[in-house]
Amino acid sequence: MFDGLDLVIPAGQRVLLAGPSGSGKSTLLRAVAGLLLTAAHGEKSGRVLVDGVDVDRSPPRAGLLLPDPSAGVVAETAGRDVAFGLENHRVPREEIWPRVDGALTASRFPYGVEHPTSALSGGEMQRLLLAGSLVLDDPLLLLDEPTSMLDEAASGQVRSAVLRHIARLGCTTIIAEHRLGPWINLVDRMIVLDAAGNVTADGPPQRVLTTQGAHLIAQGVWVPGEPSPEPMTVPGSLVRPWETPPDGAGELVTAADLRVELAARLGGRRTEPVLAVDGVHAALTAGRALAVTGPSGAGKSTLVAALAGLVRPTAGRLLSHPGIAVRGRREPWKWPAPCLAARMAWVAQLPEHAVVARTVLDEVLTSGRCCGRERDCLQVRAEGLLELLGLSHLRSANPYHLSGGEQRRLMVAAAVAHGPYGLLLDEPTVGQDRNTWAAVVGVVAAARDNGSAVAVSTHDQAAVTTLAKDELALQHGRRTR
Amino acid sequence: MSTDTSIHPASAAAASWRTIDLMTATVIGVAFGVAYWGWSSAYTALDAAAPALGPAKGLLGGPWLIAGVVAGLVVRRPGAAVLAETLAAAVSGIMGTQWGSSVLLSGLLQGLGVELALAFFLYRSFRVWVAALGGALAAAFETLYEWDIYWQAMSTTWKLGYLGCFVVSGVLVAGVGGWAIARALAASGAIDALPAGREAAEDRAGREAADDRAE
Amino acid sequence: MSRVRCGPLSLLAASLLPIIGAVAVHEAREGALALLVEVLALGWLVRDLRATAVRLLFGMVAALGIAVSTWLYSGHDLAEAAGAACRILYLVLPGALLLGLIRPSELGDHLAQRLRLPARGVVASTAALQRLDALGEDWQTIQRARRARGLGMAGGPVRRVRESAGSAFALLVVSLRRTGSMAVAMDARGFATATDRTWAEAAPWRGSDTALLLIGFALALFPWLLD
Repeated sequence: MFDGLDLVIPAGQRVLLAGPSGSGKSTLLRAVAGLLLTAAHGEKSGRVLVDGVDVDRSPPRAGLLLPDPSAGVVAETAGRDVAFGLENHRVPREEIWPRVDGALTASRFPYGVEHPTSALSGGEMQRLLLAGSLVLDDPLLLLDEPTSMLDEAASGQVRSAVLRHIARLGCTTIIAEHRLGPWINLVDRMIVLDAAGNVTADGPPQRVLTTQGAHLIAQGVWVPGEPSPEPMTVPGSLVRPWETPPDGAGELVTAADLRVELAARLGGRRTEPVLAVDGVHAALTAGRALAVTGPSGAGKSTLVAALAGLVRPTAGRLLSHPGIAVRGRREPWKWPAPCLAARMAWVAQLPEHAVVARTVLDEVLTSGRCCGRERDCLQVRAEGLLELLGLSHLRSANPYHLSGGEQRRLMVAAAVAHGPYGLLLDEPTVGQDRNTWAAVVGVVAAARDNGSAVAVSTHDQAAVTTLAKDELALQHGRRTR
Repeated sequence: MSTDTSIHPASAAAASWRTIDLMTATVIGVAFGVAYWGWSSAYTALDAAAPALGPAKGLLGGPWLIAGVVAGLVVRRPGAAVLAETLAAAVSGIMGTQWGSSVLLSGLLQGLGVELALAFFLYRSFRVWVAALGGALAAAFETLYEWDIYWQAMSTTWKLGYLGCFVVSGVLVAGVGGWAIARALAASGAIDALPAGREAAEDRAGREAADDRAE
Repeated sequence: MSRVRCGPLSLLAASLLPIIGAVAVHEAREGALALLVEVLALGWLVRDLRATAVRLLFGMVAALGIAVSTWLYSGHDLAEAAGAACRILYLVLPGALLLGLIRPSELGDHLAQRLRLPARGVVASTAALQRLDALGEDWQTIQRARRARGLGMAGGPVRRVRESAGSAFALLVVSLRRTGSMAVAMDARGFATATDRTWAEAAPWRGSDTALLLIGFALALFPWLLD
């Protein structure tokens, strides 16, 4: 990952660590925290000293936030989660609870100590984890893309919580990010890593930006002030629906007064049903894209999944165009899986949930095989998509071995290779660098222009502007716009 | 001044558990606990549909032994199998199965069966026959307990038939099946930080290097 | 129904000890008596009647299954069958009544502080347990993704079993990939060296716990005395 990296960071400095995906930003943060040994293997030489002490001898007191906040939560209730670090550091019980209360108040956590962590949103979890570091008075704060999976409002709240935290403790802070804009004015120094893990620039943020801006953009880093990338050009032959939609199937699927209640059910334990979508009218139209927007928890994902025939409505109407009905049934959620796959494709927010095959090429071919597409044509489309998206050298690799960005592109290829009429995506651009963004948006735009009906749930304003004419804004499951 | 440190897990003190070892064993336990619960429900349906299955019912027991085998093969530390299997049983019990809290006892016995097989090879061999032996012992331990509770009234022939069927299931489903799952997990890269995953990753790297040379 | 608060260890013990008693349940009549005593001895602790009823229903199906097997393979002896059913119910009932009252985090506190089980193992287990909800969400997403790809639960039993196995493996991979991040986050909060840690919650042993433990022992002995 790194070869001969030398860095000195003075106490109290706020550092922004920038670089493309895969440049080793996370690895460097883990090395500083003395946690390289925790979940990786490899060879290491050299030393990391924090306050003059080798981290391998004695791990430093460092707060660490990861991109996925749910991985950091360890306890059933908020208070117990904040107490976790204190317990580990053998703080006596009488001291624990006053300190926990103090940290929760100081970080303006909106709930009490008894609040269940499973009911928190991603942004709330990150703030809880910040409180868990604050309570330890950690002199070092390490942030690994802490807002990459959050919407704009939640990101802003996490950023201001971070700032309050720094102001309170005066701690040294290192932020690893590939979306520089929101952080650039909050830091004293910026260090740029290239794809090979070498430091290519180091200095005051604005100066580094002027000298390195173009280089960073080329490597996919989001640089403030730079317009969104140009979507990739994708030939229609690779993405267009396999068959022309039946006569006049302008409105592929329509939802009227749609209501969906979700009961999170796992075995015998049933939670109260949550009203996710309430009285929504929507339509999937051939050749058009619908953007479903709104804050997290508004029901965007559920609505898109319902339009994709993956969720059974609680009430209201959800019907396909009669021309694509299966044995007279127009309700997409009743269609057998192979028939559904021939008509609708859906891309999950986290690509690793969707891996079904052992090789990259098989992953792209699976849906087409399930719905009986002609093999040679399917093969040509699949290979073409892999080539275009820069994945053909990985065609026989295990999909799980791909990087996050590669997996995302793979799943988009797997959704269009067999030419469904409808293409539905859940947060397809979240956490992606500029290059993957351009690829994903390019494929979706090409599918739309070639007659697919597209719906995207997203909080990425650039994606909305580029893709969609129609926007459906949700709040608490109801349409606001 | 520079010190060279090799940070692969094999060189970490073999007896002490790293956090990743603990979390891997417990997450395997919890995930299989849910699967056990699902299989219990299916088993109830089968039970109702085919009471005439007789001693062959033992053939359906293997799936409940997998967590211990998988955790033992993946984590490779003494106690991993017992921890995962007991936790899996506890999760299925919390979710509610037909056997109440006796599942905890079953889990403990089954985990000990697997553990015994691994200990017999001093936690140095994790081949398919070690896994199969683990499955067999887990099935045997569970059967001895079931004889006294469930099958008291049955003839000795019936009981032995049941033992035979359960052991076969333990060997095939839990032993060979669990071994195959551990291998597939290693191939998926999900356990690269653990010895089993590390071996697989090194094999992959070796193969790729060979391919490169061939080209 | 009950206001008495028992700790998780006594609840666990009282749900496990009757297993010893169950071995001695052979006949229908003494079995029915033993069951009645068991219901009276433990029933007062129940709080959530509906959930308990569901758990009991499962147990009754199991008891019925074993009774039918016993009837078929022990020379169509109805008394033997009824005895077997009583034995299973005696075994299952305490778990159905009491397991739902145990909170995992509380059990962890008690296992570590009272029984002195290794602290890190206990904490790791409770941390994994609290991910049960997240596991449910992952499962749902995996099922949706597979259905959208044309796989999905449908067709004959063989296909269903294969599809369940595929989804379950995907769930295992997704969960295990996340353990790396979980371990890093936990170690960043000092868990790596926390073999000797303090506990935010105490693990009190009350009079009611002693009483419940004694009841558990009594239920372990009672069928043997009847015998």
